[in-house]
Amino acid sequence: MEMNLPGDLPPQLQQAIGSGLLQRLPVTFQPFVHQQLSEWDFLFPNERRSVQRLLLYVNSLPPTQFNALFAPLLQLEDKMGVRTWQFSTTEQTILNASLLARSPYYQQWRQAVQNVFDASDAYALKTGASVARRRLVLLNIPAYLPVDKATAWTRWQGIGFVQPLDLSAAHASGTLAFLLFGEKAASPSLLQAAQQPDDHSPAQAWIIDAGDNLIRAALQDQAAAHSTSTPTLLGYKRLDTYRQNFSNEMNTMRRDLVDADSVYDRLRKVDVRPWCPPEASAPSIREFLRALYLSGNGAVIFGNSFVEWGASEALRRARPSLLTAQFDLRSKPKPFTGVAVFDNPDKVNPLPSVDDPQGSALDAQMLSLYIWLAALRFTEYQHDTVCICMAESIAEAYIVAPPQFSLQRNPRPLSIDTLRQQLKTWLA
Amino acid sequence: MESDSPDRTPIPAALPCTEKAFVTEPELDRSKRDFLRAAGLLVAGSLLPQLKAQSQQEPLTVGSGHKVIVVLIGGVRRAETFSREGLANLPHLTGPLFGHCLFYPHTRNEGVTAHFNAISSVLTGNWQRVDDWGKLAPTTPTLFEQFRKDLRAGRSDTWMVASNKALTSQIGASSSPHFGPKYGANVVFPKQLMLMAVEEALRDGRTASMADRARVQTELQSALEGSNYEGLGWNVFDASDQLDPRVRGTIESAIAGFVHNDGPTSGDELTFFMTREIMRKFAPSVLTVVFSDVEAAHFGSYAMHLAGIRTVDRLCAQIWQEVEQNPSYRGQTTLLILPEFGRDPDGSSTNGFFNHRANEESTRDTWMLALGAAVDRPQVVERPIRHVDLCPTLAGLLGCKPVEMQGVRLPEFHA
Repeated sequence: MEMNLPGDLPPQLQQAIGSGLLQRLPVTFQPFVHQQLSEWDFLFPNERRSVQRLLLYVNSLPPTQFNALFAPLLQLEDKMGVRTWQFSTTEQTILNASLLARSPYYQQWRQAVQNVFDASDAYALKTGASVARRRLVLLNIPAYLPVDKATAWTRWQGIGFVQPLDLSAAHASGTLAFLLFGEKAASPSLLQAAQQPDDHSPAQAWIIDAGDNLIRAALQDQAAAHSTSTPTLLGYKRLDTYRQNFSNEMNTMRRDLVDADSVYDRLRKVDVRPWCPPEASAPSIREFLRALYLSGNGAVIFGNSFVEWGASEALRRARPSLLTAQFDLRSKPKPFTGVAVFDNPDKVNPLPSVDDPQGSALDAQMLSLYIWLAALRFTEYQHDTVCICMAESIAEAYIVAPPQFSLQRNPRPLSIDTLRQQLKTWLA
Repeated sequence: MESDSPDRTPIPAALPCTEKAFVTEPELDRSKRDFLRAAGLLVAGSLLPQLKAQSQQEPLTVGSGHKVIVVLIGGVRRAETFSREGLANLPHLTGPLFGHCLFYPHTRNEGVTAHFNAISSVLTGNWQRVDDWGKLAPTTPTLFEQFRKDLRAGRSDTWMVASNKALTSQIGASSSPHFGPKYGANVVFPKQLMLMAVEEALRDGRTASMADRARVQTELQSALEGSNYEGLGWNVFDASDQLDPRVRGTIESAIAGFVHNDGPTSGDELTFFMTREIMRKFAPSVLTVVFSDVEAAHFGSYAMHLAGIRTVDRLCAQIWQEVEQNPSYRGQTTLLILPEFGRDPDGSSTNGFFNHRANEESTRDTWMLALGAAVDRPQVVERPIRHVDLCPTLAGLLGCKPVEMQGVRLPEFHA
């Protein structure tokens, strides 16, 4: 099928596609590739590199190796009867996903697809196309979420150590804001330290907030010109308009798959620009949000889920040097709306919202671990990354770090200033 | 022995946490007395013979006279249920009830780990691979159809009451040419009624109603009356556009109980009240209940997922309480409780507990607990069983003729 290619595709890639590469790919491989190419303008630099690497790699293979690489996938497609399916090769649809998932060969198919990506990644490592750099994942469970000191870190299963914190210096905007923006104006901030000299993309540093304090602090910092860096800023509450409009559209979906796909199609095309706050108006960010909301996982329902899923997707897609995430308080489900109706319970039930600090803390504990586990799935974060999860209510941080990280377990509370210096040294 | 080693399921205190608890039958035979004492069954007389005796006194209705209730509880992992940490979420199932049960710690879903296919696999004894969203019926006969056709049972004798929104009324009967909808079950989705009531109140500007229990009752009844009930996705007594009056009364009683019980108000609570009313009014021989509060996990709230587990633990105990108090069920009923599947492991690319589509043990390896008339002695059976083994086992208890299916009868059940 002819497709309109974005104008700024690298020439090598245009050449490969022009030579008929896409038509040679297995049917079930095509929706991903087509979709990535059609969304090229909205991809992060890491994704562009990844797609380019994959396609140039398979295009470089002699026919026998090309056939060998895709043979398991082609055989599975035959067994699955893919050619008899109503299967879109141009985009990833719900119908596609459903057809694949209910095949008895689905798990084998997933593995076969993964094997192709693994081969491409191995080739990149061998050819030095992948660059190692130090990274930081910084997570915060605010003071108003009561974490149980006795069990706070049990889910981390001893992969790091507990460090007491001295939070006395942190001001009203919170520990994480102080850590990120509390630097004296003269010295470079933690955000600046995370900026790579060869990559000034906002996708290199992400701040994701289940509330809005942290994002407001970041915007104030930018406005005061204390920082020259421009991280990606996502605040759940600041995205209310975007999310609620999306949520309204999604709730019109019926069970009918065709209808679901048509609604998804509409949601993929709807103009979201009027719904975006200024910090989320860049094309790649507003499309990131669109994809995030479309992929579920509670991102339109709960701020903490938005943070976890947003962070996981940012790690997967952008591979940032610095990712910071802060959790927040959610309300208890309202009577008779509860688990049945999540969409804007305030609209459905006039009873006042009741905070759920204990439940929110439990959610945050699990989801903070999930962000780190999401990072660990990628080579970039497996060796040279420090993860710090702070629980303000117990003045502790859980630190997972490689041996070369200078901060070691210390029974004396660590000040935020000292922590910031250690982290800047690490990133620098 | 370590009770939480990877292939062992921690056993609640009601059963001895010793090798005997995991044993094989011959060993259990040798130690039966100790086992039963430890399980509390020899205290105040033997309950099991008493249950059997009552069973014999009850009049037989259709087939063997045996009744079966299958409770499916959505997707829950071992980590949050039958693990050292998870037992705290199951105070009822691992409390006194456990001492009376037949427990299979390894009950496997080897099919599609999505709701419609998982449930229809349990109900048909074959791994179903139909549309996940319930557009298509299972391809082989359900337990409902086998029971109704074989034993000439009426439709009121087979019911499914389900919270899960991913199901449709297609779950009640297969597309098998020799069976099909004319032998199907009544299917009701109570939570759908709740959703419709909320939607109607919202649409008509009556959201204030949702803050007042009496008005919530009115809203629910209005949703039941005002719309073509098929809009709810139900299929009851083949009625085209009107609910059977017997059913209407049952539903109204359930709504009243739900709204005025001063307790929690989740979808599963309403499903429980409907189930109990259906048991009282129709006493079906084959009843399947699907709870789904645990599916709050899809939205990423671990706390709400755990709350869902605790809710379903309590509701299962309440269903068993109803079985024991209801003369139509007491002593002649077998209750099975099992998850549809687990959930994905922490750190999986599918976002861990949020979802249930990874091909991992965490998603496939679950458990099953059986109580009641077909359990002639409590035991823990370490041998892995499969979801498809339940249908032939239950069909055997009900007195149905064997139908060819992938599952096999479990020898531990006795009619």
